[in-house]
Amino acid sequence: MAAFEYRQAQEIRECFQRHGVRYLFLGKSGAILLGFPDTTQDADLFVEKTPENGAALVPALRELGFALSEDQAAEVERGKDFIQLKNGPFDLDLVFAPDGIERFSDAWRRRVEVEGFPVCHIDDIIASKAATNRQKDRESLPRLRSFREYWMRQRKS
Amino acid sequence: MDAHEIKEGRVEDRAVEEPAILPEWMAEFEAAARRPLETRFRYAFIRTHKPVMDDAPFRAFDTTADYRRWCEENLPDWLGYGRV
Repeated sequence: MAAFEYRQAQEIRECFQRHGVRYLFLGKSGAILLGFPDTTQDADLFVEKTPENGAALVPALRELGFALSEDQAAEVERGKDFIQLKNGPFDLDLVFAPDGIERFSDAWRRRVEVEGFPVCHIDDIIASKAATNRQKDRESLPRLRSFREYWMRQRKS
Repeated sequence: MDAHEIKEGRVEDRAVEEPAILPEWMAEFEAAARRPLETRFRYAFIRTHKPVMDDAPFRAFDTTADYRRWCEENLPDWLGYGRV
């Protein structure tokens, strides 16, 4: 499978908008949308865990080309806390309950729009990475925190 | 440090001390800011095979803690998914 591309992010944005899916880009993919220069493999989406959103998400994913069986669709619709999809045109992690972020509504209120992409605020991205306490996140946090300082200064000016 | 200090009965603005950013990181942030989003995507998203992780088309975990535990128990340490 090839790397995640800009046009695929656009497809997510347009498809999810059509289906009324509420989501935010999270993790390093979210930071990259904000301007963070780094590399990653996955797109992470923080998806609101409600019955309506789950019901909207399944047809949206199928339209994007994810081959979901009925059982898998039911799991997506129920909103398990973490779902990893590698059965479509690109890899996608659906995170319904990220570490370090209390409620979707809080993150939604703080979100940043980048060319129409809804993205978690850099503070939420950092909080989530810090809370996971994984080796790979711990290594990227100092640079991410520096980027936060840069990004906040740019927003002020 | 506070942004304001009381001096001789009035409040004066003072520059807030901002954390230092390593010069090489600053140069990278500024360079990235000059690139269009599509170019940033092309530079940022890469693809390598992650053993175990990439070997199933679909995984669902009831809780995020279950997912973290699964990563620790099943993925090679060098992938960096283990908790510190």
